Amino acid sequence: MFGRIFALIIRYKTISFGSFPRLLSIFYWPSVQILFWGFFSNFLIQNNSSSVFNVLSIILSAVVLWDVLFRGQLGLTMSFLEEIWSRNLTNLFITPLKEYELVSSLIIISALRTLVGLTPAVFLANYFFNFHLFEMGFYLIFFFFNLIAIGWSIGFIVSGLVLRYGHSFEELAWAIIFILLPFSCVYYPLDSLPPIMQKISQLLPPVYVFESMRMILIEQIIDFKNLSKILLLNFLYLSSSILFFMLMIKSSRKHGILINQGE
Amino acid sequence: MLKVSKLFKSFNNKMIIKNISFNVTDNSIVGVLGKNGAGKTTLLGMLMGLISPSSGEINVFGKNLKKYKNEILKKINFQSPYIDLPKKMTVQQNLFFYSRLYGVMYFKDVIDDLAKNLQMNDLLKKNYGSLSAGQKTKVNLCKALLNTPKLLLLDEPTASLDPETSIFIRDFLVNYKRLHKSSIIITSHNLDEIQSICSEIILLKSGEIDSHGNLEFLLQKNKYSSLEEFFLGQG
Repeated sequence: MFGRIFALIIRYKTISFGSFPRLLSIFYWPSVQILFWGFFSNFLIQNNSSSVFNVLSIILSAVVLWDVLFRGQLGLTMSFLEEIWSRNLTNLFITPLKEYELVSSLIIISALRTLVGLTPAVFLANYFFNFHLFEMGFYLIFFFFNLIAIGWSIGFIVSGLVLRYGHSFEELAWAIIFILLPFSCVYYPLDSLPPIMQKISQLLPPVYVFESMRMILIEQIIDFKNLSKILLLNFLYLSSSILFFMLMIKSSRKHGILINQGE
Repeated sequence: MLKVSKLFKSFNNKMIIKNISFNVTDNSIVGVLGKNGAGKTTLLGMLMGLISPSSGEINVFGKNLKKYKNEILKKINFQSPYIDLPKKMTVQQNLFFYSRLYGVMYFKDVIDDLAKNLQMNDLLKKNYGSLSAGQKTKVNLCKALLNTPKLLLLDEPTASLDPETSIFIRDFLVNYKRLHKSSIIITSHNLDEIQSICSEIILLKSGEIDSHGNLEFLLQKNKYSSLEEFFLGQG
């Protein structure tokens, strides 16, 4: 079992980090985001002396944490789509590879890609803006794993749809996160949304992550009710998405898709 | 080795495979023939567990494929010129990857031996995406032999190869079968190739078995002098 998971991780690592342009594509965007939002926040602070809390810290924390979700989803989806683009699915699915081994390796490589992608951004934020992400302490780890888990849930659903229904769903790999963004309350509180949007947002775990993040940074308060909601919703969504992904593999076998899938 | 019973497969209410039953014995090479759309690829897909049958049963090495799929797949492999290996990796990285997936022990030695036997040592460090079609066919065959399969499924095994290399690969396959007492199932439109290495053939026609048996016996029985005549006559 571990041999096959290791084999897949080595493969995805070679694809993701195997050349400088590929490596660059993983970490340049989070770094650009951090610099952009950092300088913008600095400008806001300089022009608004009545700022009562650390705007810079809140915005940069939100940028980094949102990117955890985005990188998590992209890392998982792109690794799986790579198998489709390289017309390798047939070879992969005739090996003794079990579906949960594929799921595990996609999760591990997504976590690795996210960590590699965000590390330079965190260092840049520290250097230019004296921003300390680790101010959130243990809760940062909690938020990291829960946001990346949301990314995995979306990643498994998108990967399953592309596998079963074809390339038209590939667009979702990039777009779905941005559909989710306004509902996730990354940069503003839940109360600022219209009531109808609030109802949708309440079903999304990122909302509780970013609400909790702001509470910690502004008021130094931990809302355990929010933390429980994050865990519960994530457990529900991640397990359902993995189940969905496996069902799509089963359905692809039924429809003969695994032997003809490709570019 | 392989026992297929009453196999049916339909896609979107269209029957592609209709009531197919046959056995493949140990140490044999079987050619599967048929015009385009006869159901060859679907049949191969079902033998590898890639396509689930609508009904019927496939037993490989005495075990039910559906129930013992992962155990059976350790001893099966497949090669097709229409299925690629990852292009962004070198040939060696690809072969290491598949060796690990099949749990091959001492895989570096296995790959060295296979590369030497298939005369493709010079390809190992090259990027798979940069290879010619013929070189890819050789590398794909090498991948298909990594786990020393007892049942080897080949789709057009000599496609894109020059005549000299094609003869070399055919001889290699016959030797491989003899040495490992394996069985090989080949689909090919190259009828000379089928005639030169297969002891048995299965002729598929619109998803059904039209003829099945010993090649020489079938030719004699139907008074044909070559497989080509037989194929055109039966088709």
